[in-house]
Amino acid sequence: MSSPLSKPQIITHIQKSLNYTVFDSKWIPCSAKFVCLGNFPSGTGVIQIYEVNQGEAQLIKEVEKPKAIKCGTFGATSLQQRHIATGDFDGNLNIWNLETPDVPVYAVKAHKEIVNSIDGVGGLGIGDGAPEIVTGSRDGTVKVWDPRQKDSPVANMEPMEGETKRDCWTVAFGHAFNDQDRCVCAGYDNGDIKLFDLRNMSLRWETNIKNGVCCVEFDRKDINMNKLVATSLEGKFHVFDMRTQHPTKGFASVSEKAHKSTIWQVRHLPQNRDIFMTTGGAGNLHLWKYEYPAQRCKKDSDCVDVGVAGSVNLLQNVTLSTQPIASLDWSPDKQGLCVCSGFDQSVRVLIVTKLNIV
Amino acid sequence: MSEDAVLSLQSHSTTVDYRGKVPVEHLDYDYIEKCKDVRYLEKILRTLRSGEEGIYPHLIKFCESHLEKLDPKSRALRKEMPVATAASLSKDEWSQIEDELKRWQEETKKTETTLKHQSVFDDLVKENMPPVRGSSCFVPLSQKTVPQERKKPSKCALPRDYREWDKFDVEKECEKIEEDVDKTDPPAIINSGHPKIKTQVDTSLLSQQEKLFLANREKDKGNEAFRAKDYEEAVTYYSRSLSIITTVAAYNNRAQAEIKLEHWHNALKDCLSVLELEPGNLKALLRRAVVYNHMGNFHMATEDLRTVLREEPQNTTATQLMSQMEKKMEECQQEKQRKGKKILIQEIEEADNQTDSDNKAHKTACLVQPSQPVGGEERSATPVERGDMGNAHKKPHGRGDGGPHAESNSSHHEHRKNRGSSDKYKVPQEKIANGSSKRGSTASVQGDQSGSGKATPVGGNAGETVNLDAPCGALPPPLARLKNEGNLLFKNGQFADALEKYSQAIQGYTDSGIDSPEDLCILYSNRAACYLKDGNSQDCIQDCTRALELQPFSLKPLLRRAMAYESLERYRKAYVDYKTVLQIDVSVQAAHDSVNRITRLLIEQDGPEWREKLPEIPLVPLSAQQHRREEPPSAEVLQARAEKAARDAERKAEVRFSALKQEGNDFVKKSQYQDALGKYTECLKLKPEECTIYTNRALCYLKLERFAEAKQDCDAALKLEPTNKKAFYRRAMANKGLKDYLACSSDLQEVLQQDPNVQEAEKELEEVTKLLRQSLASTSPNKPRKTVPITEVEDDENVTAVPNSKNSCKGEDISINLQPASAYEFGQSLNAARSSGNTVACAELLASTAPEMLPQFLSTQLDGHTISFIMQALHSHLLEKDPYLVYQHLNHLHTADRFSVVLMLLEKEERHHMTQLFEDLSAVQSTQFTKNDVQNLANKYI
Repeated sequence: MSSPLSKPQIITHIQKSLNYTVFDSKWIPCSAKFVCLGNFPSGTGVIQIYEVNQGEAQLIKEVEKPKAIKCGTFGATSLQQRHIATGDFDGNLNIWNLETPDVPVYAVKAHKEIVNSIDGVGGLGIGDGAPEIVTGSRDGTVKVWDPRQKDSPVANMEPMEGETKRDCWTVAFGHAFNDQDRCVCAGYDNGDIKLFDLRNMSLRWETNIKNGVCCVEFDRKDINMNKLVATSLEGKFHVFDMRTQHPTKGFASVSEKAHKSTIWQVRHLPQNRDIFMTTGGAGNLHLWKYEYPAQRCKKDSDCVDVGVAGSVNLLQNVTLSTQPIASLDWSPDKQGLCVCSGFDQSVRVLIVTKLNIV
Repeated sequence: MSEDAVLSLQSHSTTVDYRGKVPVEHLDYDYIEKCKDVRYLEKILRTLRSGEEGIYPHLIKFCESHLEKLDPKSRALRKEMPVATAASLSKDEWSQIEDELKRWQEETKKTETTLKHQSVFDDLVKENMPPVRGSSCFVPLSQKTVPQERKKPSKCALPRDYREWDKFDVEKECEKIEEDVDKTDPPAIINSGHPKIKTQVDTSLLSQQEKLFLANREKDKGNEAFRAKDYEEAVTYYSRSLSIITTVAAYNNRAQAEIKLEHWHNALKDCLSVLELEPGNLKALLRRAVVYNHMGNFHMATEDLRTVLREEPQNTTATQLMSQMEKKMEECQQEKQRKGKKILIQEIEEADNQTDSDNKAHKTACLVQPSQPVGGEERSATPVERGDMGNAHKKPHGRGDGGPHAESNSSHHEHRKNRGSSDKYKVPQEKIANGSSKRGSTASVQGDQSGSGKATPVGGNAGETVNLDAPCGALPPPLARLKNEGNLLFKNGQFADALEKYSQAIQGYTDSGIDSPEDLCILYSNRAACYLKDGNSQDCIQDCTRALELQPFSLKPLLRRAMAYESLERYRKAYVDYKTVLQIDVSVQAAHDSVNRITRLLIEQDGPEWREKLPEIPLVPLSAQQHRREEPPSAEVLQARAEKAARDAERKAEVRFSALKQEGNDFVKKSQYQDALGKYTECLKLKPEECTIYTNRALCYLKLERFAEAKQDCDAALKLEPTNKKAFYRRAMANKGLKDYLACSSDLQEVLQQDPNVQEAEKELEEVTKLLRQSLASTSPNKPRKTVPITEVEDDENVTAVPNSKNSCKGEDISINLQPASAYEFGQSLNAARSSGNTVACAELLASTAPEMLPQFLSTQLDGHTISFIMQALHSHLLEKDPYLVYQHLNHLHTADRFSVVLMLLEKEERHHMTQLFEDLSAVQSTQFTKNDVQNLANKYI
């Protein structure tokens, strides 16, 4: 048994109270700066850029936008440009140059309703192939966008006529290990998880985890898909081993109930895909490590390959506040540094120690 | 609560209802302590925490700790914890974290500004970017297609209309059924085969910053895949990382992944690349050792491991590998013996030399033993090994305390290298063993020094049979037992346990008030050895100092303290201690090596005046100052003294004897048989009962074609050792020279009976049988054929032992088949040419070989020497005559299997030859090829 001090510690480095509701916070790649996205009480949107400097977060820039901004990503931009793509309450997808954030470099009315979730791939050297952005919205559709193409999405995943449309809460890219293969995973309010293969333009797999899916994330976007974590409304999360897909059983998974409240988000450590943090509705953070089984694949009774799930170990848990932590982002450059924001109108920079030794 | 009540409750608790309320009686220390049911304990804990039955903080804590013991991962133990702050860390830790952060902030600022400067190129559209996906593809949210297909068969289940039977096509229906089966059971999709990942990353448009970032990312991905045991994927990602920027880490990691995949050659290549970038990289050395080990190249592997261990004596991986390899090597050696290679015969001869003196020492040791009641059995259990084969393992004397540095000792002993390093792990056994048995006795010291070499098979057994209650000096039995237990544990490598035993013994010693400083000294010294093994140098030094206070100038504590100092990098003190050790006993090789090493370090550190900074080296009094092996037995009586005198004389004789023998051997190597003969004869005057000398002299006689004398010597040798294979073989040769084919064949048969793998003997036998038949058939014996083979074989022996003595080769009349038709024939011819150094023959051979066939012919036996030999032949004989042929040969040679690996193993000189050849080739004017062609070709070689 390891002594408590040899465990990773989660330390609040900076805590900053804000005068607006912050929905998302993201590190700007290759910098000590992060972006906060949210809405003012008046209903207008806001983008703020902070720089971490000597134990403080200094506000560098603040821009007000007409619509409340729900989510953002740097996933589809180059390291040189570092444009952020955001989705707002009105269903717009915008890409901003943070140096000149007054006018978007790309804008499209993507959805009829709020964009709940956004993810990007193909930029920052993450994933080969074209830069693409995926958005998921309350209108039940999931759309993939290419910043080089105006006005219309490159792929559209929507319910057939007559089907009830579900609120899409979360989307994530994955399986982008060469310039053709690419998958999008979407989670819906009824517990559906759907995996779309963008290469074949087909639904590859679906399952239901019985409760609303708050967040899905692949452990890595730019590898042959390896693991998928899906968190749910009632405090459970599922880790799917995505390496072996059984024709009927699908992917093997392990689930863990950790939080007594909704798990709002899951984020994998960029430096180690087997470590991830979940953020809870009661303001707590759980740091997990996935342990692979001895054999990741076995034969079932019909001699068909079936995956074997591993186990998850809790490395550390802390409570930050009483309000949900709605977003968390690991710094892609500095291992152990992360920024998180909650509905207590504050943003925190955390340091997680000893991640390299677990 | 009574005992019974608790028990009944316990038995009850196994059937406890988890849903029911926890009875109040269960909220009790006794009950909780005895409860083994994790689930129920969790429930108790929950009840306790809820405070329904009152609040008992201590009981809660107790329950938690008990639960943790049973199930450390229990969810009930997870507690809400506040987030840590800077205050909850120690100052050092926090300042470290802060510093790191600060550094990172500064660095990122810099990288950011450079990135911004580069953003001018923003507009450059990546050419290789895939096009935009087809606009607005519609993807259905549900797999409608599957259920539809499934519905169809249900319709078909209806009974068919009679009219339909007419159209019924059996085959089509069968196909349909098969199709259905296929469709309902598609194979599992496994995402682990990934040939689609590119191993190259296009970085043409990236800035340095981005490249660094990317390379790191790819490496991380490789690491992750490695951790998930997905080694192929790991290799792919490391390759990607390397294609962006070459880094030591990525090469190193790829090597490890390749090792896991058992792609030895690739791994070797990677290790070599690392070592090229960063010579002396320990990881790379270690990995290369692993690779060599698997490729069967134990010599190279041990060399690498030794380098690693020199830098990092505590490296456990290296240590383990070393012992593993030692085992393998032993097996190998046995195998070799069975195969009976030519080398062996010569080697044994040289080893005999050592053995005999060792045995001598051993015998004398045993003689003195009866007067040594203490701990003698350990050594006497190591029997004197006599047979000639096993003795090849024997180690030279004067090893002393090897300890962690022992590996450097043996590096001088050429053909025993491998053994020497493996000994390193055996030495501690003896160390302790003689620590207990020493007690100032000459004999035992001598015994264990000569014995330490063959510890492997025998010492181990002896260690296990140690009587734990064996008396130890003046120690009372319980303490002696403790000490012996400690020794045993130490031998088994349980240093911590041994440490405890020794500590107990020391404690007991001080409590009992015995006055026996020697014993206490040994105890301290042994405990110091444990500390040293555990890497606890501080305590080791302390114990050694104590031991030295009790017994000034005892060798072992001094040596151990020196090692401890050295590991703490207190080189000056270490130097002084080593020097003191050498004053006591000059023959401690480890001390010599360490002194050399430390001297170098100190010169580096302190400059030329390093000596002035040294503390004073204590002058060792004469009484303590002696060659350990000659140390007079302090506890001995007159009898031993007399013996010693006799032994001294014997030893002198022995020294002279071995000197003479060595000279003789040297002369043989130089092919001066007449001189060697004289030396051997002198040897025999000193020691007429020496079998090897007879066989050696027989060899000389054979060479001088004095067969009768050779036969006599062999007879003498066989009288001393009736099963001496070599004597039989040489007598066979002598008989052959004397044309006594019958006797010859019977001798050869004797050799083959002893060892059926001696190939020369087999060959000879064949030939002799032929000769025998001829001589029986005709009266005129076939003269010209017989002498040549004898010299040939003997020469071969020499060549293998002394590869440089090419001058003694007389292989001119070896017929070389210049028209090879198969790889085997080619190989035969090439080998024949090579062994005689006949480049002309090789050149002819090459001239008659089609260049296209060369790689095929060579593939089986490509090695560095062959290549360089071919190069030489091409260079010296073919280049002038037919440069185009040379070009063609070179053009094909590099396509041979394993060529790139072999190329890496070429020595400097050989490389030089090669460059020379290419230079000359490019200077040649030719119509068939241009200078550029040669240049391109040269790139493949150099």
